Amino acid sequence: MIKNSRAANKAGGHHSRLPVTNILPGIWAAKTLSLTTRILGHGGTTLPGRVALSLNPRIVSYLAGQTAYGNLIVSGTNGKTTTSSLITSILQEAGKSCIHNQSGSNMSWGIASALISNATLRGLISADYAILEVDEGALPAVTLETTPLGIVLTNIFRDQLDRYGEVDKVQQSIKKGLDSLSPGSFSVINADDPTLTAIVNNQDITTFTYGLEINLPDDDFQDSSRDLKTCPLCKEKLAYAKIYFAHLGHYQCPACQYKRPDPDVKLTGYQPGPGNKISLEIDLAGELISLNTPLPGIYNIYNLMAAATCAKALEVPGKNIVSALGKAVPAFGRMEFFKTAEMNITMALIKNPVGANEVLRTLITGKEENILLVAINDKIADGRDISWLWDVDFEKLLSVQELFPAIYLTGLRAQEMAVRLKYAGFSQEKLNVDKDTGRAFEQAINSHGSGKNLFIMPNYTAMLEIRRMLNNMGLGKAYWEEQ
Amino acid sequence: MQRHINIYHLYPAHLNLYGDRGNLVALQKRAQWRGIKVNIIPVEPGSKIIFAKCDLLFMGGGQDSDQKLVAADLKNRSVEMKKAVEEGMAIFAVCGSYQLMGHYYRLQNGEKIGGLGFVDLFTEAGDERLIGNAIVECMLWSPSKTLVGFENHGGKTFLGPSVQPLGKVVTGFGNNGQDKKEGAVYKNVIGTYLHGSLLPKNPWLTDYLLQKSLEYRSQDSNLEDLDDSIETGAHQEAIRLAQSRRHKRQSTRV
Repeated sequence: MIKNSRAANKAGGHHSRLPVTNILPGIWAAKTLSLTTRILGHGGTTLPGRVALSLNPRIVSYLAGQTAYGNLIVSGTNGKTTTSSLITSILQEAGKSCIHNQSGSNMSWGIASALISNATLRGLISADYAILEVDEGALPAVTLETTPLGIVLTNIFRDQLDRYGEVDKVQQSIKKGLDSLSPGSFSVINADDPTLTAIVNNQDITTFTYGLEINLPDDDFQDSSRDLKTCPLCKEKLAYAKIYFAHLGHYQCPACQYKRPDPDVKLTGYQPGPGNKISLEIDLAGELISLNTPLPGIYNIYNLMAAATCAKALEVPGKNIVSALGKAVPAFGRMEFFKTAEMNITMALIKNPVGANEVLRTLITGKEENILLVAINDKIADGRDISWLWDVDFEKLLSVQELFPAIYLTGLRAQEMAVRLKYAGFSQEKLNVDKDTGRAFEQAINSHGSGKNLFIMPNYTAMLEIRRMLNNMGLGKAYWEEQ
Repeated sequence: MQRHINIYHLYPAHLNLYGDRGNLVALQKRAQWRGIKVNIIPVEPGSKIIFAKCDLLFMGGGQDSDQKLVAADLKNRSVEMKKAVEEGMAIFAVCGSYQLMGHYYRLQNGEKIGGLGFVDLFTEAGDERLIGNAIVECMLWSPSKTLVGFENHGGKTFLGPSVQPLGKVVTGFGNNGQDKKEGAVYKNVIGTYLHGSLLPKNPWLTDYLLQKSLEYRSQDSNLEDLDDSIETGAHQEAIRLAQSRRHKRQSTRV
């Protein structure tokens, strides 16, 4: 069923080129460190990988070269973690064993850590596939190291510009990743994102596109975060027949020939149904499937389409896709639910305007009363530049502010977040600022007298901190236990 | 009569990279809180600016690739714009548009993109990007006040003798990472590399721009004090972080 299998030549496989003794010290050091940090109660996803890479930089290619069928890479600004989790579920449903760097640590050392934790002490890996979520900046290098069967791309939005400089640079890095694919491999591209379709021109690989062909109410939600509104080829303003969110939709350049390609995989039906499930009709390049998904939000529909298209490219039977996607649960930190005796807790990661606006939309359409806790750090993994907070439409919350009996702001940039909400129109008496995340979390969780739902919006490192606090309360599994 | 300010926002579709909306929101709110009416008029390439009605012109930062397009459109407006600047119209230009106020931007391949040329400065593409938190000591007031923001630019800007810098670099790179100058001030034109957004957590600069816009139309430029405790808190928070060892270590030339 699955193309490009390298099971046949596994015996004489890649790793025989490198003497095993060069690799093992790195693996042992990483495993020891990983064990130590777990005993200390931290989910060490970066340090073990960094150490192993410093002992032998070829460790990723050595380990990744052992998977029976091959590797898959998922990249793009938003939706990497969810999409790669969905692909993993589909392949597992089809009976395959998978390795996945699922804690969102997607730089080269995070990938090294994930591979090592799945390797034996003798440096052997027995999985069918490695599904690797890869940071856009690391994409060219990781593509060369892991020679994947295919690259799946979600979208390009503004994110962590302090690290990459500009959106153009991110786009170039992704293009370099695509150009580094070996002949015969494939790419999966979001047809609705003009920044992605503009960079596909590698004739040696097969391109599969996916897109939405449904009607949604007009979207006035986030004009300010529409990163790309001009034609990537001639810079004329793009005309849109449909916009699903941000700059994703049905676009065409009025000046040149550039336009959205007709997607291979189409979403043709979208109907919210009972139990917060959404029923979907998908045209999988001619094969029609329908399924119910519990994943909220249009952004998740895109993730789901990317995963289904990747599965189709691997020739996974439609019934496996339907049953895996029907069971999907939100990925690590993206939109998670916890329950205590007094409270329902929702935690939704925010890290850039487009993603954050989608979270706000979910919060507003939910129409339920929520205590809010917004936690913003500016560490390297968050992006040190927090200007994006000003492009998020927090103004939209104002029209439903009676739904928020209390608002807590925390993190290293708690004060900036307070200014943001003040300028969105909230009265400053309503804003409780405490940069100590532990204290703010405790206050919010003990404020159940004023409400029974707590909605937490952290950015990345704040999410890790709060997740640890939730874990300490016995809520949710620690992420290093989920593998 | 109610006081009012018309803010023309240049090229929101092309120059909107670094939370520029925060600057507009700050101008708008701080005017409204004092009963001043604000109109924000978006301008795209080719559409009209009525200079007789424009009290303040705001331009943000964009991708390098949009720079040429924007520069070409600005050229068509340069005569009228220069006249207004000489008469005292305020312009607030961040990053990419700050560079366009000057004589030229020289790309790495040697190609020169001509700027408006009414502020005596020029910019050269550097071989590294200057990225990080920055604090400057700003001499628009006496005694001086601090401004704090985030910079991220590949161009290095150098000022001619007829313009003053917006401030002296305390922490960060500033215009070029060499001469400790950040931004430029010429008449009521302010150009800067700082975003973050800059105006919300530096409310005195916001008020300065509002006052200059009111004075330009001979309106009462008296601004009553506001409770700025949250804004000042964010200012101090950003200063502390910019001065922390962690941030200094992370200021990068990439």
